[in-house]
Amino acid sequence: MDPRHSSLRSFALSLPAIIAIAPFLGACFYIFRFSVSGESGRISGFSLQAYFELAEPFFLRSIWVTVKLAALSTLVVLILAVPIALVIASVRGAVVRRVLTVTILLPMILNLLIQSYGWIILLGPSGVLNTALRESGLISRPILLLFNETGVLLGLIQTAIPLAVFPILSASRAISREYLEAASSLGAGNWRVFYDVILPLLRPGLVSAASIVFAYNASAFAIPLLLGGRRVQMLGVAIRDMISPLFNWSGAAAAGMVLIVITTGVLLLATWLINRSTRTPKSTGTSAPLQTGGGA
Amino acid sequence: MSTDLKIEGVSKNFGSVSALRDIDMNVEKGSFVCLLGPSGCGKTTLLRIIAGFEHATSGRLLLDGVDVSNVPPHKRGFGMVFQSLALFPHMSVAQNIAYGLKLRGIDKASQRDRVEELLNVIELPTIADRPVAALSGGQRQRVAIARALAVQPKLFLLDEPLSALDAKLRENMQIELRQLQRKFGVTTVLVTHDQTEAMMLADQLVIMDHGVVRQSGMPSQVYREPADAFVADFLGTANVVKGEVSESGAVTFLGILAQDKALPVGGAGIEVAIRAENIAVVECENPERSILGTVEFVRDLGPNVESIIAVGEEKLRVRSRAREVVSLSAGQQVGLKIDPDLCSFFSR
Repeated sequence: MDPRHSSLRSFALSLPAIIAIAPFLGACFYIFRFSVSGESGRISGFSLQAYFELAEPFFLRSIWVTVKLAALSTLVVLILAVPIALVIASVRGAVVRRVLTVTILLPMILNLLIQSYGWIILLGPSGVLNTALRESGLISRPILLLFNETGVLLGLIQTAIPLAVFPILSASRAISREYLEAASSLGAGNWRVFYDVILPLLRPGLVSAASIVFAYNASAFAIPLLLGGRRVQMLGVAIRDMISPLFNWSGAAAAGMVLIVITTGVLLLATWLINRSTRTPKSTGTSAPLQTGGGA
Repeated sequence: MSTDLKIEGVSKNFGSVSALRDIDMNVEKGSFVCLLGPSGCGKTTLLRIIAGFEHATSGRLLLDGVDVSNVPPHKRGFGMVFQSLALFPHMSVAQNIAYGLKLRGIDKASQRDRVEELLNVIELPTIADRPVAALSGGQRQRVAIARALAVQPKLFLLDEPLSALDAKLRENMQIELRQLQRKFGVTTVLVTHDQTEAMMLADQLVIMDHGVVRQSGMPSQVYREPADAFVADFLGTANVVKGEVSESGAVTFLGILAQDKALPVGGAGIEVAIRAENIAVVECENPERSILGTVEFVRDLGPNVESIIAVGEEKLRVRSRAREVVSLSAGQQVGLKIDPDLCSFFSR
């Protein structure tokens, strides 16, 4: 085929992606430009003032809370999503599988606001859980599960589970029953089969699940606002507060840039670490090109 | 190290479907047994029951006289080669072969020695560090065999391991597999639907159909003395035609008269199996002890000429040595000579 022809075709095929991503990149550039603006209300001149102003304890704490909650929720979500995905993969009946899939998808279908109110009804000071504990005499005063980091963490975990289940589910399809039986015939009990065969083969799915969940939760806004009630200042909430009551546009833009850099940086780091630590077959010179990296 | 296996009255039902019915089998120490049958005959199910991946509905497995029916697969100490080979894609060749040794807590140095030894046995000494994805089909095959043999298994089980290879490579691997099995002296059970492969490898051939064993014995014996029309037809190319026994015990088929075939007398219908290579094609002008037929189809395969020749209602498949046969063409009238002593007779 004419090479010019084929490059034209690749361009045509990638056009939808370009159209989708161009406004996003444009917005990123706009935010970047605003963050180095000389004035806080509009774009004019150049200054790093907005970044310097971020270097104060309140904002640094916000970064720390964001990274901590995103990382913790990612870890818990992965631990929960692996068994869920394996169960769905092992279900034979089409109807049961459909029902399970829809159940897992529910958090994606329901509005975040509605889900948050669900958590408030469950965990609030006079909510279902506290009432039950009080009635059973286990506690005398309500335990605080809302408007603190615990409540936000629970919300982040619950809403992100489907994001992790589906990449892991599709990775699990690459694990044929014969791999598991081969390990077992060589003497591996169930846990060893899981640890030696299933987990390594799920790796590409785990890396993409972790990346998606971390990025989604690091930039969460509704959940920390509704379940953290301003007391848990994740970056999303902090940025909104800069805009809405304070009208500090360049500050908000700088904080946005920080969030983008942190998320991207953590994702790159995680991918690199995982690839490095589990690249088991040592590649010799001749076989290196055939090596498949499990990136996201 | 080698063991004998006894299968006693094993049956397997999947729901209401009966996959295996009352299988009895003896696998002698150090022997090579091939389970042969058409797809769906239950041979793979039987192998999976032996390996422990399926649980027999009834019956038991005795390994050196000890009942292992309820021992989980990872404690049976068998080596298995799967149809897909199932080499772990995230491990190198050496790690694959050493995996069973690692699980047995054998130290690193001994693992390395054993891997090296096996790689030498399979004549691929330089591939230890390669990822599995970089191997050719034949190399993978050998690595899968080495992995199963590394742990010095009590039983060596193979599920159609050569079916994915091309014809030439498959033939070479069959020879190698047989040599390896002799060298290690390991008791072996192989499942295949390929009769040539089974004839070539087996000390003992077990022909299965619809969940039962139809015949078991040495390959040459099963070939020459099939127990029933199914076996005769399945193994090699045979023509199964109808015949009759008279009150006096004389047998007639295709107009041929044969005596003393030790069949129940009394006008009953019988079946006669005639191997394709046991039919001689002659000039049709020779009427003595030959029958007349019309050539319907001819193909020249080089060493052999195969033809389909219509005799009355029956269509006979005939295989002749190319240099011994008269030249055949479709529509031609020929004479056929069939020696009743080379035929098998079954009552229906």
